[in-house]
Amino acid sequence: MLPPVPAPPPDARSQEAVVLDVRTCGSDGVVLAVEPLAPPPPIRASRFYMLRREDGLSPFIPRPYSIYRQFGSRLEFLVKVMGKGSRALAASRRGERLRLIGPLGNGWPTLDGEGAPWVMLAGGVGLAPFPMGVEQALAGMDGAAPCPADRLHLFFGAANAGQLYDLDRMVDLGVEVRTATMDGSQGRRGTVLDLLNDAWAEGRLPAEVRLLACGPERMLEAVERLADERGLEAHLSLETLMGCGVGICNGCPVPTRPEGALGHWPNAKCCVEGPVFRTADVRLAGSH
Amino acid sequence: MVDLSVRLGPLSLPNPVLSASGTYGHGLEMRHFSPPAHLAAWVSKTVTLRPRPGNPAPRIAETEAGMLNSIGLENKGVDAYVRDVLPQWRDVPTKVVTNIGAESLEDFVEMARRLDGEAAIHAFEVNLSCPNVQGGKLPFATDTKLAHDVIAAVRRATTKPIFAKLSPNVSRISDLAKAVEAGGADGITAVNTLLGMAVDWRTGRPGLATVQGGYSGPGIKPVALRCAWECAKAVSIPVIGCGGIRTADDALEFLVAGCTAVQIGTAAFADPAAPGRLAAEMAELLETRGITRLADIVGTICDGRAVVCAPGHGTGAPGHSSAHGTPAPAGKVPPREGSAD
Ligand SMILES: Cc1cc2nc3c(=O)[nH]c(=O)nc-3n(C[C@H](O)[C@H](O)[C@H](O)COP(=O)(O)OP(=O)(O)OC[C@H]3O[C@@H](n4cnc5c(N)ncnc54)[C@H](O)[C@@H]3O)c2cc1C
Ligand SMILES: Cc1cc2nc3c(=O)[nH]c(=O)nc-3n(C[C@H](O)[C@H](O)[C@H](O)COP(=O)(O)O)c2cc1C
Ligand code: FES
Repeated sequence: MLPPVPAPPPDARSQEAVVLDVRTCGSDGVVLAVEPLAPPPPIRASRFYMLRREDGLSPFIPRPYSIYRQFGSRLEFLVKVMGKGSRALAASRRGERLRLIGPLGNGWPTLDGEGAPWVMLAGGVGLAPFPMGVEQALAGMDGAAPCPADRLHLFFGAANAGQLYDLDRMVDLGVEVRTATMDGSQGRRGTVLDLLNDAWAEGRLPAEVRLLACGPERMLEAVERLADERGLEAHLSLETLMGCGVGICNGCPVPTRPEGALGHWPNAKCCVEGPVFRTADVRLAGSH
Repeated sequence: MVDLSVRLGPLSLPNPVLSASGTYGHGLEMRHFSPPAHLAAWVSKTVTLRPRPGNPAPRIAETEAGMLNSIGLENKGVDAYVRDVLPQWRDVPTKVVTNIGAESLEDFVEMARRLDGEAAIHAFEVNLSCPNVQGGKLPFATDTKLAHDVIAAVRRATTKPIFAKLSPNVSRISDLAKAVEAGGADGITAVNTLLGMAVDWRTGRPGLATVQGGYSGPGIKPVALRCAWECAKAVSIPVIGCGGIRTADDALEFLVAGCTAVQIGTAAFADPAAPGRLAAEMAELLETRGITRLADIVGTICDGRAVVCAPGHGTGAPGHSSAHGTPAPAGKVPPREGSAD
């Protein structure tokens, strides 16, 4: 019997992983490839792992990272170098070992081919959960009809071209990829929401689309507002602070909407009830 | 084979490792990381009479060698605990310690009464020491009379063993330890988090929405160890050490300082499987020193105290002396002044 209290997923493990390689990506990121000691099953896109070096270089609290790519037992993480935790991970060398806790969280909903097109809104390093999302949607998820390539759109925005991580590889995914940068150094000047508005204005997308978004807080708040205003289905992959990733620290609260599916309690735990939430169920901080 | 068993007041435990409150779930959520039997007892997150939504985010902030938290005792209240959590514990091969919290003596009593008849619960841990409620003023943890009165009142409300969880944020923790012993506590958990804070000087923004919160993790180990040692010297009831314990070495340090058992808290965030491994790792370490009974090292610190005869060690605490009162085998640990071995 599953506990009625939110619990970590039963397939999650705490184990060591061997670093395979680290390649630089964009102006301030790396792609860290590791191989866990126990071979992982296929991981759903937008699930995540907690990572930490155990040689004293990482801070004590592990850091959450989305699964970026999986090739069999090779797991890749797209790490934007920000502070102590990401710096330590980025400095990892081939053959070193890391603590790897996961897979954690729920992942994207079933990206089926039945309804309105899916528009993926990626902001900067918020790109991480999308490449596998595209692949899994095209292959068909959870027994649903595969999503045709023309019903998947990846709108990728960032502050500048250097943060459009792995853009050259994204165009190989076989779906429409459009870009925007705040400084205009690549693609449209503006945000992913501008890309969406352009597509609507030019009649390239129907009024009804289903949104998936991952990126900075302000971007997600804008997506939330848009979804509210237009009554769109929208799923946000949230990046709260996390102490544990497995539901035991209560450090990752996301305020819920009383009328939503999680409304029985004022907060949801981002790590075990998310990180993907429907905008109908949560209310982002700062938006009220 | 090392005998890891200890007696924690009226409880016989197969090993001395417990989870800490608020850091390992409420019920069996963590069973995929730690097999239930690997922990001698699982301590719940603090349960309160009424549901508490907890404090606003950010509720956690990293510090050097640990973290700050201001969760604010988020929990769904005692009714939900009895309905949703306790049934999970049926037929599980470990003991259940329910940590109870309240902002008044009356609510503590009400909690103990409500839960006294619950067969799944083996003991209560009375949280006198949460820094994240009541404005961080810690009324029960800093006032010997209040601490005594709460424990005495809970004592009258339940027949189950009670452990009083103390705060390190006091001048003389031994006074509090004596007060809760006099109030009828069966044991002491030392300690809860240290009051702390963090601020970003560039933005002026505090790390926690509540500004101050509780500091935990490896950084607090020396403080926790000193607190636990002071408590163990002052009372004859067993002391459960807590604070910064990460490795088997850490845990054994607390035992040598006088603790009968330990709780592992924040370390579970760095590796959620760590609590379930700790007892076996302690056994391995003891084996390398030729020690066959873990209870033999309890209180063997060379601090000039007698292990058997010192006040509070092996005197007048029924069932407790097997852990604290057994002389260490000669040659296995350093001799102590005044030891009655
Ligand atoms: C489910 C989930 C998936 C994630 N996936 C990825 C990913 O694939 N790639 C990636 O690069 N990052 C991802 N993140 C964010 C990543 O965990 C943080 O960037 C990382 O924890 C920062 O650690 P640090 O020690 O480098 O920085 P710190 O020194 O901890 O912080 C540096 C600065 O970043 C801010 N910060 C810290 N954590 C976060 C956060 N979670 N969100 C926003 N700001 C933060 C701090 O407030 C501070 O200003 C994810 C977060 C979550 C919750
Ligand atoms: C996120 C978090 C939540 C906690 N919640 C509780 C709680 O609900 N009740 C309680 O008595 N102690 C609580 N504590 C304190 C721990 O049980 C423990 O006393 C403290 O963290 C010191 O041990 P550690 O350094 O091993 O974590 C909490 C600690 C943390 C880090
Ligand atoms: S990160 Fe600890 S409960 Fe979610």
